[in-house]
Amino acid sequence: MPVAPGAVLREPAHRVSRRAVLMWTMQALVVLALLLAAQVVWWLVDDAPSRTPHWVVGAVWLVAGAAYAVAMPQWRYRVHRWEATPRAIYTQSGWLWQERRIAPLGRVQTVDLERGPVAQLLGLAAVTITTASAAGPVTIHGLDLPVAHELVDALTAAAVAETGDAT
Amino acid sequence: MTEDAEGWRRLDARMLLVHPLETLIRFLPALLALVVFRAGSEDNDRWELYAVPLIVAFGVLRWVTTRYRIADGQIELRRGLFTKQTTTARLDKVRTIDLTARVYHRVLGLAKVEISTAGGQRDRLVLDSLGVDAGRRLRAELLHRVDPAVTGLPAPTGAPVADDDVPDDVPPPVDDEVLVRLDPSWIRYAPLTVTGLASAAAIVGFASQGLSRFSQERSVFRDGATFVSRLAWWVDVLLLLGVVSLLAVGAYVLTFWGFRLTRNRLGTLHTRRGLLTNRETSIDAARVRGIRLDEPLGLRLAGARRLKVVTSGLLREQGGSDWLCPPAPAGVVTPLALRIRPDEAAVSGPLTPHGPAARRRRMTRALVPATLAAAGLVVARVLWDWHGSLLVLVPMLFAGAVALGRDRYGALGHTVTPDHLVSRHGSLDRQRVVLDRDGIIGWKVEQSFFQRRVGVATLVATTAAGAQHYDVVDVPVEMAYAVLAQVSPDLSAEFS
Repeated sequence: MPVAPGAVLREPAHRVSRRAVLMWTMQALVVLALLLAAQVVWWLVDDAPSRTPHWVVGAVWLVAGAAYAVAMPQWRYRVHRWEATPRAIYTQSGWLWQERRIAPLGRVQTVDLERGPVAQLLGLAAVTITTASAAGPVTIHGLDLPVAHELVDALTAAAVAETGDAT
Repeated sequence: MTEDAEGWRRLDARMLLVHPLETLIRFLPALLALVVFRAGSEDNDRWELYAVPLIVAFGVLRWVTTRYRIADGQIELRRGLFTKQTTTARLDKVRTIDLTARVYHRVLGLAKVEISTAGGQRDRLVLDSLGVDAGRRLRAELLHRVDPAVTGLPAPTGAPVADDDVPDDVPPPVDDEVLVRLDPSWIRYAPLTVTGLASAAAIVGFASQGLSRFSQERSVFRDGATFVSRLAWWVDVLLLLGVVSLLAVGAYVLTFWGFRLTRNRLGTLHTRRGLLTNRETSIDAARVRGIRLDEPLGLRLAGARRLKVVTSGLLREQGGSDWLCPPAPAGVVTPLALRIRPDEAAVSGPLTPHGPAARRRRMTRALVPATLAAAGLVVARVLWDWHGSLLVLVPMLFAGAVALGRDRYGALGHTVTPDHLVSRHGSLDRQRVVLDRDGIIGWKVEQSFFQRRVGVATLVATTAAGAQHYDVVDVPVEMAYAVLAQVSPDLSAEFS
């Protein structure tokens, strides 16, 4: 899904890994599991004879949560794209709120590779590129691990080549 | 105490007097509690007196173990007895230097020197305290990179300077141009700013809490409260306005008395202000990334505004270190802004409006809360039988919301000049940011679900300075990318 039809900039060239959909789904399921746990605790603690509120609340979050777990990962996958050239990094992310970020590599300060538990399970990684601005970290989620390593190496090489304090 | 063979200098020995005083002030609430507690008991053991030698010993220890030096293009600060801690900062990373002198510092001719470097809060060096002269010389050394060996100037020493050697008000050296000096008549703007009102509210809250303790016993307060509550409501309102205004004026005077902005020949901006606590801030011109003209509603109606600097590595953005001019008439602030950023089109030129979609969004955002509040009032009238006269508020709410929406849309605008990106937004807190184009280190184009539906976006320019990002709000998407392409043509070309 394009951020802006008819915009001057084209979309970034690459999609993230197809397995990212699975990762986002699992993350959504973790949230649902936490909600379920809260619901169970409430069920056990509540002394009131009527169980109607439990069913109503449970049904509400179950419907909303199921929609979230099904729609969000697909939507995200269609939005998330990235591209790195020798001069700049360009990403597109989000689902309801979408954003594109562009940072020239000359301003890059650190490049981080990060793997959460779910990402490790699926052989994925996230790459975060920070600049001197606290508002400007660029993160690409759901990259295949080899792709992520390659990207980090390329970015690090480019960042080292630049001099100056990047502010 | 002059520097030793390796160039290490110490803090001023007079800090030994400051330290126990500061500790005392910090523990004043605890001490008061102790005194109150003691009043009820028969225990005569003044064991808190044992703390005094400890505090003094701690101060001496801190003085003995704290040393700093400038060597090899670095400033090093070393402190601690058991865990030796060395903080190092490269001189070319020094952004701003603050000299703060509280009342007791000033009595002793001292100042606390805070040096901030790239990266903000984590990377700051605090020297508490140096003699005022030594502090100023250190500042000159750091900001102007004066190498004593090259210029033949005497190296700054940590040596104590006699009190009478330090003039109370050092005139700026001849080559510093004075850009602005506080005119006492500007104090009339103090009650018109949110900052002024907030500080007034804080003082009122603090005072009322303190007073409520006594009000039980002291009939004066009780009688006063009864008296006030019997007055007509409009007298109460006037009284409140009067008190708040007075307090805001007080806060303004405390903060900005003697405000002066100077610029030396290297372009370093230097502010100095404060009635009781003297504060001097020096901002390296190379770190300045733009300026911000603030026109909050109150000031705007009175034809006034204020000026702030957008710079990297300021210590206290909230504390007013970034103020280049306190609330003052537009006729003073605009020319001042032009002297700092000589770009007429950017500072006062017309801006490109953001169009009908942005206008509708401003209106929706103003009217939805107003409608909810109005609905709440009606419901309260029906269900809980609130007083009918409150319904008068409903049309007032809507009129206010429409006015606010229009004013907020009127503020929206941007423009690109050869050197700057300009963006303006806000009504109650309207600000016009003039950001250097070469200070922009990245871009974001954000779109919420609703923004996508009406084809607008928020263009965010990220920077290492000030608020870290400055936004062009609700601009049509094509316009957003056009601005991006105009300011960063190579980035835009890379991906189009």
